Amino acid sequence: MDNELLQEISLNLQRGKAKVVKELVQQALDAGIAPETILREGMLDGMNIIGEKFKNNEVYVPEVLVAARAMNMGTQVLKPALEASGVKATGKACIGTVQGDLHDIGKNLVKMMLEGKGLEVIDLGTDVSPETFVQTAIDENCQLICLSALLTTTMDVMGDVVKKAEEAGIRDKVKIMIGGAPVDQAFCDKIGADVYTPDAASAADAAVELCRAMCE
Amino acid sequence: MTNRERGLNILHFKDVDRLPAVHFGYWPELLTEWAAQGKIPAELAVGNYDGSDKERELDKLIGWDFNWFHVTGYVQSLYPAFETRLLETLPDGSQRVQNSFGVIERVKPGVTSIPSEDDYLLKDREAFETLYKPRMQYAPERVDTAYYSKFNDLRPWDVPVGLHMGSLLGDIRNITTVKGMSYLLYDEDEELFADIVDTYAEMQYKCTKKILETGAKFDYAHYWEDICFKNGPLLSPAKFDELCAKHYRKRNELCHEYGIDIISLDCDGVIDKLIPTWVHTGVNTMFPLEVGVWGDQFEPARRQFGNEALGIGGMDKTALRRDKAAVDAEIERLKRLVALGGFIPCPDHRLMPGTKYELVQYYAEEIKKIRL
Repeated sequence: MDNELLQEISLNLQRGKAKVVKELVQQALDAGIAPETILREGMLDGMNIIGEKFKNNEVYVPEVLVAARAMNMGTQVLKPALEASGVKATGKACIGTVQGDLHDIGKNLVKMMLEGKGLEVIDLGTDVSPETFVQTAIDENCQLICLSALLTTTMDVMGDVVKKAEEAGIRDKVKIMIGGAPVDQAFCDKIGADVYTPDAASAADAAVELCRAMCE
Repeated sequence: MTNRERGLNILHFKDVDRLPAVHFGYWPELLTEWAAQGKIPAELAVGNYDGSDKERELDKLIGWDFNWFHVTGYVQSLYPAFETRLLETLPDGSQRVQNSFGVIERVKPGVTSIPSEDDYLLKDREAFETLYKPRMQYAPERVDTAYYSKFNDLRPWDVPVGLHMGSLLGDIRNITTVKGMSYLLYDEDEELFADIVDTYAEMQYKCTKKILETGAKFDYAHYWEDICFKNGPLLSPAKFDELCAKHYRKRNELCHEYGIDIISLDCDGVIDKLIPTWVHTGVNTMFPLEVGVWGDQFEPARRQFGNEALGIGGMDKTALRRDKAAVDAEIERLKRLVALGGFIPCPDHRLMPGTKYELVQYYAEEIKKIRL
């Protein structure tokens, strides 16, 4: 019965049925299923499947957006119970679109995917200065700074963030991830960032690996 | 040969004396930059748009033959449009503005970027019926028939001129936002989304027909979509086909009836998965074939669709920000694509700030040396 309910949560999350997911999560809690089990075997299971399908071009941005919305609605119901049971986040990241750039779809997708992997994410929004990224990482003890840019005219700001992190002496404590239309691995290497990923799902996988490695 | 003959001959696999040096305009900031550097007269940096006299003057200075994107059309979007109005100024100086699509955007003064979308109005059937559907209807004011009845005397005949037929999904995405489009299509009301597309397409069909009935002559017809990004389409190709194919087909058949056999489509990003829908419905010319970080998109399309797939663009414009060696390498790469026929190299989008004036001149000069 528990498994069936968790499967239903996973399936409806994959279909992006936000209201249904919300109801099912409440049902699962009422049925006495542990919040962490609901999170991992229901919602994260669904997000992982969507993430894999996205990487393989089996689903596209809309399916990811609606799944992420369902995840968020489910999390709203689950969060108090998770906090009460002492479940900790997999890691902590701050994310934003770099200064001069107001595009946020890619950034939001990555944020949703990171949350879908159990990371705590501080969303700094768009047009974020290098100083804000670095100061947030220091103040909030983030393991990751995630940078997004859509424009060829703003991608160079990513390099400024790397420099600011070096100047602040936090490069050994924080990993810097980059993504967005104009950037690639060569650009990542050039500016000295740690990880480039081509899509939101890969970014979430890489983020989890980085956090795991940094905790060891 | 005129540049019109050169352009059209290439797209019809006929002989030409040389390649035309074709471009796709500039970001305004680049023209300001060039004027500040003393490369171009300051007056050419203002009011310089596709097909304008100032652009033609700049073409001569640089050595370009023409801007491919020389199109004219009708009022393609909402009519009347929503009034643009300031809703709120936030503590960080950014402003919340309702734009002409009814979308609430956050605009930051001094930031030269597309604004981010905060909210949107078209969320349900009621909003569609009351706020949007009336603005998506055909109206005589949408088509300047007086202009089109004299069009053949007014249009330039030395460059190709296109009829802009609007967009099936690009505009609707602007109205619903990507998020709203996703929620409607996959969770909330797929039928409503299809109704929006059908309503919009029908209006555009009527406007296109009205223009063609005036006897105005065009060298090509053109769509704009911008429905793809770095990782491919913004929605599944199957869904795109289901929503749009019938409308493309109907409109393209209309174009064929009026003797237009070049039908181009402007879509940025990685377009490969949508090309089948376009080619199968009669769109045969892909533009501007962005190279981005993903590489050439023309040759794979040619392999898949043969001479049904034509191309304009495909030149990595970032080479024009680097050095002569980068431009030479890019021209060498383009020669192979030119040899396939039915392909006209053109920078793969508007030239952006940081582009070097001398490199653009050099590219324009060198591309004209290519013989087919």
